[in-house]
Amino acid sequence: MLMEIGVALITAKLIGYLFERVRQPAVIGEILAGIVVGPFIAGKIFGMEYLSPETEGIASIGIILLLFISGLEMGIEEIKTAGKSGLLTSLFDVSIAFIFGYLVGHILGYDLITSIAIGNILVATSVGVTVRTLMEMNALHSKIGELILTVAVLDDIFGIIILSITLGKGSPLSLLIKISLFLLIFLVSLLIITRLKDIKIHIPRLILTFALSFVFIFSALANMLGLATITGAFFAGLVFSNFSYRRRINEITRQMGEIFFIPLFFVWVGASFDFYAIEDIGYLVLFFIPMAIFGKIIGCSFGAKLSGFKAREAIAVGIGMIPRMEVALVVVATEISMGIFDEKLSHQILASTILLVIITSFLSPVLLKAVYNKFKL
Amino acid sequence: MDLEELHQKKVINIIDEKQKWNLPIAEKDADIKDILSILSGRDHVWIVEKKGSRRLCGVVTENDVLRLLAPSRLPKYMFGKRYSISFLHGTAKKAKDIMNKHIIKCSPEDSVGDALMRMVNAGLRRLPVVENDEIIGEITTHYIIQILLGKR
Repeated sequence: MLMEIGVALITAKLIGYLFERVRQPAVIGEILAGIVVGPFIAGKIFGMEYLSPETEGIASIGIILLLFISGLEMGIEEIKTAGKSGLLTSLFDVSIAFIFGYLVGHILGYDLITSIAIGNILVATSVGVTVRTLMEMNALHSKIGELILTVAVLDDIFGIIILSITLGKGSPLSLLIKISLFLLIFLVSLLIITRLKDIKIHIPRLILTFALSFVFIFSALANMLGLATITGAFFAGLVFSNFSYRRRINEITRQMGEIFFIPLFFVWVGASFDFYAIEDIGYLVLFFIPMAIFGKIIGCSFGAKLSGFKAREAIAVGIGMIPRMEVALVVVATEISMGIFDEKLSHQILASTILLVIITSFLSPVLLKAVYNKFKL
Repeated sequence: MDLEELHQKKVINIIDEKQKWNLPIAEKDADIKDILSILSGRDHVWIVEKKGSRRLCGVVTENDVLRLLAPSRLPKYMFGKRYSISFLHGTAKKAKDIMNKHIIKCSPEDSVGDALMRMVNAGLRRLPVVENDEIIGEITTHYIIQILLGKR
């Protein structure tokens, strides 16, 4: 296992760097590194066995740290300052993207839970790809750029909340009670941590240990209440987002996560890519990817238009929201670990989501630039 | 002054009048150029609610601005809007756009030793001295060294 992890880390770093050099997301490079070190390449040539319970455990910690960082960096402030147009656009965007995903499952004859799970994958947007494209176009400070960014951030938040509600375990009433209990614990924790301005005990790294311990306990608590662990990790990040030591916690968690755990999550995603699944995903991909793209364009454009944007601007907003990346992969990995899909479908959905991530991150910048040029925005 | 003796002192007892009136302060709606102008001579700016007020709401340090001066380099995993703040792309316009709102501070009644430990734990080189949410002084590494060497 040690050899596999060592090879995976350096391969992910190198391929990720190559992708950054050609202005593409490093995450795609890390997924490709996973394919390289996985059973179909390094496994066949060198007999490497990357997929093991140990690497899966490391990937799970990567997911938790990723979601904790996202909650920490977004914070409650982002929701408060989103404004009416941001919230309205996001509401339409999230609803339509989810419905389109659900329809994919429904059309292909999957059961209700599977269809809902597919809907969940399509909700979130990649802030990273969006910001990179807007920067390249020098449109970050524009009205459209600001709306795209606000909605992309809100989408991630709503995506995680929707996942918890739709895939929570138990009857609707018991789920309602569990979610209420979880929110109550969250609000009390938020209140305590926000008011905890000063820490008089000077034990080295006490705050960081406390924050990390809180994340894992909160994630376990979410799990015990029948919600997804990622919901716990994300809300733990929100709890610390108003804490005076937020920056320090963020710096250290990012270092830990970025160097080791998070790349190994994306490597694990790539290594889990099953080439045999490609043979059977024809119909799934045929619906899944176009619905993912059009769901965002239609939902966002409609929301932006209702918020007072011109039709051409609203379309640009919709196109800017197409990319999927980190959160979509985390959602699919979580759904697989929750046992929502059978083994064959798990491979198919994972392969389809990886293809969606790659296609949308290449397609969105091209389309956005074309729309900006055509409409002279 | 003996370092151990300095650790025991209260923060209020080491802040002099000159420092109180010479604090680098700007309001949160101040233009980014004003902030850069202060930073050309100091290594941080305390941000207050409005002009004439001393109600502390943020801080901008050399380090915050360094990231904005360098060519844009986005992190691999990105969440929230903070990475979209940039000089190059015109999204950093006012002090409030770039300030750090989460401030670790000390009170005038804290001991200098406690304040220094807080700086070590948080990886900071400065702490504002705050009373009733208003900044009344600051503890910086430079300032402590000056006291230790008898220059203050």
